[in-house]
Amino acid sequence: MSTPTETPSETETEGGTRLSYETRDRLYNLALYGSAALFSAVILFPIYWMVQNAFTDSQTVITEFSWLPSPETVTLDNFSVLAAGAVPRYVINTIVVTAGTIVVVVAVSLVAGYGMARFRFRYKQSFAQFLLLGYMFSPIVLGLPLYLIWSEIGLLNAQIGLVIALSSISMPFAVWLMWKYIQTIPESMEESAWIAGASRWRTFWDVVVPQTKPAIVACALFAFAIAWNDFTFAQILLPSQESTTFAPGIMRLIDQGGYTSWGDIMAVSLLMTVPPLLFAYFLQEYLLKGFEVRTR
Amino acid sequence: MASETVESTATADRRSVRGRLGLDGEALRGWATVAPVILLYLFVAVTPIAFAIYASLFEVPLLNPNWTFTGLSNYVEVLTMNSFWSSLWLGALFMVGSTVVQLLVGLWIALVLNQLDRGQRFLTAVAFTAYLVPTVIVVLVALFMFDVEVGVLHIAGSTLGLWGERTFALGDQTWAMPLVVLVGSWKFSIFVTIFTLAQLRAIPDRFYEAAKICGASRWEMFRDITLPRITGVLLIAVLLRAVFMFNKFDIIWMLTEGGPAGATTTLPILAYRTAFLHNDYGVANAMAVVMFVFLALGAYCYFRAFDPTAEVDT
Repeated sequence: MSTPTETPSETETEGGTRLSYETRDRLYNLALYGSAALFSAVILFPIYWMVQNAFTDSQTVITEFSWLPSPETVTLDNFSVLAAGAVPRYVINTIVVTAGTIVVVVAVSLVAGYGMARFRFRYKQSFAQFLLLGYMFSPIVLGLPLYLIWSEIGLLNAQIGLVIALSSISMPFAVWLMWKYIQTIPESMEESAWIAGASRWRTFWDVVVPQTKPAIVACALFAFAIAWNDFTFAQILLPSQESTTFAPGIMRLIDQGGYTSWGDIMAVSLLMTVPPLLFAYFLQEYLLKGFEVRTR
Repeated sequence: MASETVESTATADRRSVRGRLGLDGEALRGWATVAPVILLYLFVAVTPIAFAIYASLFEVPLLNPNWTFTGLSNYVEVLTMNSFWSSLWLGALFMVGSTVVQLLVGLWIALVLNQLDRGQRFLTAVAFTAYLVPTVIVVLVALFMFDVEVGVLHIAGSTLGLWGERTFALGDQTWAMPLVVLVGSWKFSIFVTIFTLAQLRAIPDRFYEAAKICGASRWEMFRDITLPRITGVLLIAVLLRAVFMFNKFDIIWMLTEGGPAGATTTLPILAYRTAFLHNDYGVANAMAVVMFVFLALGAYCYFRAFDPTAEVDT
């Protein structure tokens, strides 16, 4: 308790030898806000560049270079890439696969998380550890053997095969999140529902599920990110041009050299970027709640 | 009152049954709820790995159903392949480079975010945006920005004399690897930030207030209060990043397809090429098994060092 009385005198005597407190503070704030500005610039510039060129006339994009959009060349024409050709099919395939993955991940992890939080059974800890091994599965290690297995059982080029693969690699995160989240919900509400005569299933559906909304949203967003981002699994498991998703599809188009209109590519890139941003923005309240439990 | 009696008899019942069988109704229902997860794992993880081990013992031309049993010769072939060792080295380079960059940048962003008084929400949104942009879009924008004709980064680099005016930087022997690392880090650094930020926010303000009263400098506060509290989480982040980066396929393949002249051919790229371009599925599976062994070692370290389940009470 002697320290508080000592310090003022210390700073007084050191005032001459060290930089004054205000100067240090100012330097510190400069570094702090300078870093913030630098990071914002590095992160935002590529996004700005994508947006600017998405709205620029595609001929101008490949002939002229300009930092700012000019009113004469601003156009929506690039977005017509979504009206014809192979790109719309890839986008639709991505949407189908993503929706399927979200449904499977949420349903499976909700039930499993509930079971792990509410039932006592032996080897539950080992099972939870085993689940975490899933973090170590990489799409390339699993994808290579899956290619022949899927082609044997007819899942190659089937979107359901991709949904199954993507759901599995989402499991460790999703199940752990649900498990931990449901643990934080007091059991007493369920108990009173049972006493009132509700079945276990009904209690789960009417009492537990509404309360796990933040965790459901977090899992759904996680599954969305996994599926929307996936390239490796889709590249290996959906080799045909008809069934494949956006990422491998557009890369194959570019590889074949038949597709170098940067204006079009930036336009469709922008469209593919908007959904994750919108979801994250509108669901951030839920998301933070979900992640808080996870990281605690 | 009534509820209590009902419950206590119920638990007593369960206990006696469990005592005898070890598997009562509750345990059965518990296992039933996790059965779909187990099925998914069996189907997508256990079977493929077992299959990869099996297939790695055969010579498997991809388009031919006739497998020839060759024992361990695929492994011998892999281990005596020059390209295997060079891609292992490049993979290590990519892994270490990416992990270091992502750790430093991610931690820096987290510390800045934690200290900002104004603009915190804005920078958080910006940082998360980078993580949310799909990998393929990061790649497409990077390819555009390095385009030899109109790429803004290409022009910037050639003006600074980093590469020639007609040199595609991602197709350049010296630049391909560093640029792939940097493009990846643009997206993935935030992973470290997310990991660290929650831990940073959990440090009570009064620690810093007390240190301030005692006359501690900012550096001392960071060293003695902040760092000890985030070391654990940083180690986990580093391990996960290293494991993920060792297995990274998508961003490298999309940016360079392993080129130029193998300058970015890491192990996953080599395995993919071996399977689908050289049509040597058995050898590719041997490589997958080798990668899996690395992963398992990573997993082992992860559990040894941190025991992530210890904190969970059930």
